[in-house]
Amino acid sequence: MKKDNLSTVKNRIFSEASVVENPFTRKKFTSFASGMFFFSLIIGVCFAILYPILTLLPMVFTDLRNIGSPDAIWIPSKFGVNSLEFVFRSVMRGDVMIMVKSLLYAFTICIIQVFVSAMAGYSLARTDFRGKGFVFFLVIFVFLVPRQSFLITQYLHFKHFDIFGLFHLFLGHDIDLINKPITLYLLAIFGFSVNQSLFIFIFRQFFKGLPVEIEEASLIDGAGFYKTYFKIMLPNAKPAILTVAVLAFVWAYGDIYYTNYFNTDGPYFGVIIDHTFKDANNWYINNQARQWFDTATTNNLAFEALKQASIITFLTPLLIIYFFVQRKIVENLDRVGIVG
Amino acid sequence: MKQSGIKNNKWKMKYSTSKKVNGFIFILPWLLGFVIFFAVPITNTILYSFNKVDVGNGGGIVLTFSGLQNYIDLFTKEVTTLSYPIQRMFADENRNIFTNLPLIVIFSLFLAILANAKFPGRSIVRIIFFLPIVLGLQLIVDWTKDSVGRSLIETAAGGMFGNHMGARLLFQYTFLPKNVVLFLSAVIGNIFQLITRTGVQTMIFLAGLQSISPSHYEVAKIEGANSYEVFWKVTIPLLANVTVFTVIYTLIDLFLSSDIAVEVYNFAFTKSKIGIGSALSVVYMINVLVALGIVLLFLKVVNLIEKR
Repeated sequence: MKKDNLSTVKNRIFSEASVVENPFTRKKFTSFASGMFFFSLIIGVCFAILYPILTLLPMVFTDLRNIGSPDAIWIPSKFGVNSLEFVFRSVMRGDVMIMVKSLLYAFTICIIQVFVSAMAGYSLARTDFRGKGFVFFLVIFVFLVPRQSFLITQYLHFKHFDIFGLFHLFLGHDIDLINKPITLYLLAIFGFSVNQSLFIFIFRQFFKGLPVEIEEASLIDGAGFYKTYFKIMLPNAKPAILTVAVLAFVWAYGDIYYTNYFNTDGPYFGVIIDHTFKDANNWYINNQARQWFDTATTNNLAFEALKQASIITFLTPLLIIYFFVQRKIVENLDRVGIVG
Repeated sequence: MKQSGIKNNKWKMKYSTSKKVNGFIFILPWLLGFVIFFAVPITNTILYSFNKVDVGNGGGIVLTFSGLQNYIDLFTKEVTTLSYPIQRMFADENRNIFTNLPLIVIFSLFLAILANAKFPGRSIVRIIFFLPIVLGLQLIVDWTKDSVGRSLIETAAGGMFGNHMGARLLFQYTFLPKNVVLFLSAVIGNIFQLITRTGVQTMIFLAGLQSISPSHYEVAKIEGANSYEVFWKVTIPLLANVTVFTVIYTLIDLFLSSDIAVEVYNFAFTKSKIGIGSALSVVYMINVLVALGIVLLFLKVVNLIEKR
């Protein structure tokens, strides 16, 4: 009798123990552990992405007089923004317009690139003129050949620019296109700016993925080729346009390859900081910092701090724009037909 | 009424013809650009590489044919800015590119899978995961790679988590051979460089992942596949096209930012040896195309094995 009772009690205890949700049951523990693992992975990856930029910040936000203090690693011993002030006064010459101009330049190039690439992409996807396959092959080929490999001859070609002797015939001389802003716009208009064949490829893939019925419907409604393209196809291509526009903008703003070779003296922020912070200018910049902010005479760290401040300044507008546009890209990503 | 119809037929082309013509008009600017900005410079590069290039009295360019002399000089006499032979530069760059290529592709696939998972705070994580599109700009990569601020931080904090600590741990407590450990620690030390190259690739992979219809996964689940099997049997095969595209993009991107490109510039503008610079350009171009051919062949073989 007693024994029986005991066993039932025992049973009851054990069964209750297994029914009651214990926070440390095995299943919960595994999900908790895998969650921890997952989040630590994500945090680690985020850190690795941000690390190169994070390492710039302590030096940029240290007061220039206090730079190189051995006590401070991540948190500046004396907070100050005079390196950013220096960038504004010296590199930008106290004028926000330099930044605005280079943003405007990137914006213009981006619009031209989207317009031209969309047209070329549509043509390659939906029309069939003779030799279309070959043209598509050329587009891919242009993407595959590194642009630096014909830098020399492109430079010389622009220096004495002439199309099949036509300019010589009519003007009597060839045109010097080097160090003129028009060169960069010409490159974009004719489809040879930064990675433009990639954009053509993206648009081609996208237009290929759109259903043919849209086009046929607009044809039945009596719309011509151009009306179909501008009124029907282009508005439908929003996801592709957005993606290409963002990439084009970022690459045009950050491009120091074409801008540096073909329009060195132009108002492009990337080129300006690239020129200002050459190693040869080390002494000059340190001296200027010394005059303005009374920095230490013993080390050249001011130069490095200013260099880092300038890259932060360069990045800021890009990051702001990216922050606003990013979500829209990701939302539309599955409809950008790179996949097919 | 009838007359106007005839008139229309006369003046308006058939729609299919007009579409052909207009399609050609749409691609025409690009074709013009191809000739002016690509075909002419490329032919000139090849031409210059077989010639001795001098500047004439009038400022024009004087070419004297010299056969393969430029190529012979390039590989026997010339050195890079760091005084390495040119062959060594090509060997080093190719080795780097071919080790980094799979790492970058796998890493961006990994990032895309993480970004595609559902968890709280996903939108913030996605913002950071796509940051390499911005942070991968050449100027920023070059300037952050060895910034003094970074080296200050690393020397100050390096005592505890130095690069060698992981290598030593692996070496002492696992049975991995020395070369593998060294390779792994080199990869880990290089992780910040690799990650700046993943922006566009992650985006493409995420696009690929999002376009896989959920019904595939449902079927796999009903059939009783575990997540490991689902990954290898559903996700990876459906990403095949995207992967080919990503691999090509990564390869081209790596070659564009390699040291060879810098040398081309140095030969042309610092040393003013245009002929030899052109020869280097041609070798560079051939190198890229051959590397691409090898990679595509490899992918094709993998695809065939997979299908069998």
